[in-house]
Amino acid sequence: MFIKEKQYIDTVVLPLYPVSFGDDIKQAVGITEFISLLSVQLERQFKGRLLMLPGFSYLKNANEDKLVSDIKHWETELMSQGFSHVFYVTSDSNWKIHEGNLEGDLIWLPSLPLEHMEEKYKNQILEDQVKQLLNLFVRKWQNNE
Amino acid sequence: MSKNRVSRRQFLNYTLTGVGGFMAAGMLMPMVRFAVDPVLQHKGESDFIPTKQKISEITEVPTRVDYTFEQVDAWYTSEVTGSAWVYRDENGEVVALSPVCKHLGCVVDWNSDESNPEHFYCPCHGGLYTKDGTNVPGTPPIAPLDVFPIQDVDGYLHLGKAEPRKGA
Ligand code: FES
Repeated sequence: MFIKEKQYIDTVVLPLYPVSFGDDIKQAVGITEFISLLSVQLERQFKGRLLMLPGFSYLKNANEDKLVSDIKHWETELMSQGFSHVFYVTSDSNWKIHEGNLEGDLIWLPSLPLEHMEEKYKNQILEDQVKQLLNLFVRKWQNNE
Repeated sequence: MSKNRVSRRQFLNYTLTGVGGFMAAGMLMPMVRFAVDPVLQHKGESDFIPTKQKISEITEVPTRVDYTFEQVDAWYTSEVTGSAWVYRDENGEVVALSPVCKHLGCVVDWNSDESNPEHFYCPCHGGLYTKDGTNVPGTPPIAPLDVFPIQDVDGYLHLGKAEPRKGA
């Protein structure tokens, strides 16, 4: 589908997944779970306009400048492929600092401790988050039209 | 001694074939079951998925009804959620429309676009459908929304597999 309908798919999303084996291992895993659940929903809702990339995993203790330049690399490639909207989704607050350096839009969401939640609440909460996220995308699209 | 006395050779032959036969059957039966089971299973259960929506509570306003079912992807079973837009038409008949846009598959929303009230609206490329699911010409979709066959099971709405309709 992507190849045929490329003209309609102008948005690409790259989830950013921190990986850590140190003390913050739990936190990193939580973030990854949360963001990947959200991405699945997002992809389902906006299938026809958005390309969801497999996440970008990086070591939490890696050099930050190096990370930023890696991401910028992705960015240049994606933009040259004709995507007019590039989004990053993450719960890792470190990216906030580098937001200004990135061309694409950084969507930072506070990660929620899903593992302690009942299935029902979990779905409810995810749904709320997804709704907000959807709005954000729609608004972005409208602004650029 | 009687004539039909079983000789040692015959006795061994009988017992060995008997035991061998059992063993072969023991091995073959599961194989046959494996081969036949999926076919049998599919016929056994109905393809309708239950929802929590009471039929009596459905109004003329399209409402989102969610359902979950189990989907098997190779070895991986997952819970999949889906939804339908459900309402009563002018004749009081319950209608359940698939929310999947017929253009490229985004999820459509009821009444969410201010300039097009009382329509199903697709945020991706501005696809529009009237309340009965017919695509509005001039917008990207080229077919009406799929329709779920419905069943009333003890007052609750059950949904079948969404089916396409003819284009407008
Ligand atoms: S996917 Fe709905 S209008 Fe393109």
